[in-house]
Amino acid sequence: MESVLALHNISKRYGPIQALNDVSFEVPEGSVFGILGPNGSGKTTMLSIILDILRPNTGNFSWFGVLGGSPDCRKKIGSLLETPNFYHYLSAVDNLNITQAISGRGTPADIDAVLEIVNLTQRKKSKFSTYSLGMKQRLAIAAAFLGNPKVLVLDEPTNGLDPVGIAEIRRLIKELAARGVTIIMASHLLDEVEKVCTHVAILKKGILLTAGAVDEVLVNEDIVELSSSDIDLLENVLQDYPLKTNIKKEGNILHLFFPVGTANLENINQFCFEKGVTLNMLLYKKKSLETKFLELTSATNN
Amino acid sequence: MLQLLKIEWLKIKKYPAFWWMLGIVALTYPGINYMLQNFYERAINKKDMVGNVAKLLLGNPFAFPDAWHSVAYFSSYFVMVPALLIIMLMGNEYTYKTSRQNIIDGWSRTQFIHAKIIDVAIISCIVTISFTIVAAVFGIIYSDSVRITRWAEELQYIPLFFLQTFAQLSWAFLFAFILRRAFIALGIFLFYSLVIENIIKTYFKVKDWSVREFLPFEISNRLLPIPNFFGKFDASSNEAYKKTLTEINWHVLYTLILTSAIWWLCYYMNKKRDL
Repeated sequence: MESVLALHNISKRYGPIQALNDVSFEVPEGSVFGILGPNGSGKTTMLSIILDILRPNTGNFSWFGVLGGSPDCRKKIGSLLETPNFYHYLSAVDNLNITQAISGRGTPADIDAVLEIVNLTQRKKSKFSTYSLGMKQRLAIAAAFLGNPKVLVLDEPTNGLDPVGIAEIRRLIKELAARGVTIIMASHLLDEVEKVCTHVAILKKGILLTAGAVDEVLVNEDIVELSSSDIDLLENVLQDYPLKTNIKKEGNILHLFFPVGTANLENINQFCFEKGVTLNMLLYKKKSLETKFLELTSATNN
Repeated sequence: MLQLLKIEWLKIKKYPAFWWMLGIVALTYPGINYMLQNFYERAINKKDMVGNVAKLLLGNPFAFPDAWHSVAYFSSYFVMVPALLIIMLMGNEYTYKTSRQNIIDGWSRTQFIHAKIIDVAIISCIVTISFTIVAAVFGIIYSDSVRITRWAEELQYIPLFFLQTFAQLSWAFLFAFILRRAFIALGIFLFYSLVIENIIKTYFKVKDWSVREFLPFEISNRLLPIPNFFGKFDASSNEAYKKTLTEINWHVLYTLILTSAIWWLCYYMNKKRDL
């Protein structure tokens, strides 16, 4: 698949702080690409660089194969960066008129349509300064969606939204992804990324820890959760179980780790039964993004 | 370019401070000139010899063709009113990060500065139109049947007023562009233009250093020299006045060079720096 965006060895420094350190990855066309990282990990800095707001100290990037991007490349991208940036004394419609005039995306008629999508039709003539945080965020999403761009760059898109709003935005992102729109989304909400992304990159303190398809990044081992009335006995018995790579105890539950594709629930059940332990829980668990994320980010602490 | 003009005009025309500025200009321009016209009338209406001589020698500075020059000179003192607007417009772009959004949406960094030149040009035009209307009204009211026929003699003060306004508003823009904070920029702009430069100018004058005419604001201030009301009484000050008039052309050139340098600096900085 052709890549929409490619970063090559991007580094950015703010005085003594290394905000990004030699970051390289590619975003395939049609993917929903999540960029994860704790606060201050360099997500917004990276998005600012690819949108020509910040200059990298070293490295370069290309949009649609054009080195460094260009204003014309940016016109094709719907973007929401960090905070909703609008003229506070203008109405939603006037602000979107400016977005439309600058980017050339959509037509004045499309403005009403996107405002309807984000439920701002009733307040479309009110000044931006009178909006609540959630409404401001929704207007920023409307601006990004204007004219159905083929690529979206969304920095914390659900910031400030209520639970209903968050669910709506997730649904919209999934719908757009199904239509083939490439979505690059930064977030510190793992759950959000896990629910919608096909690809993921994890940043910490400016360093790219991993990047790739969600399945590849997450599933590098099988996890089986099991429990019995005598958890200590179960733990002892399982010490002899072949193929397992690790056992962890969490309260009354044991986590058994296996290389990818080697966990077999029937065999485990039979093994325990033969050793005189009856299980009261046994389930196969896909590794959650949160587990992987914490594992990766805590590993680099050492 | 027309597209940039349309976008900037949309930003300006819906900004309440723009209408406040226009209102203040609409009051101060006629106000200050009317006040000085009254002052003049009182001086020449004294029934003594001095009043009669004054009337004979001075003519009315608010009649054509002198009205263009007199009204331009007095009105130009209020350049801080549009300067405040320019600084607020630019300060807003930074405060609300719309300067970033314009780039994200697809302007080049060069187009952004083009748009700001257009802002300064729009405001300068509007202020110049206001001045022109006020000067024309004063000229029509205070000219007698002879003077009114001379209305077209000093029309060059209209483009000169525009150039001076554009040059000084470009300074205001530069302060806001570099400092990114409207109130700090406004404070420094007013403090420099009203206090610091005048102190330096006076010091240079005492020292008799001609370099004073090249101070940032003095360069364009000399496009509209002080009208020669009372200088007509003595020959030496009349000579000096005529000299300042001949120097206007040079100051047009200096102003154009300096203003170009200001905008070049803005282009350069905007290209290089993080937004």
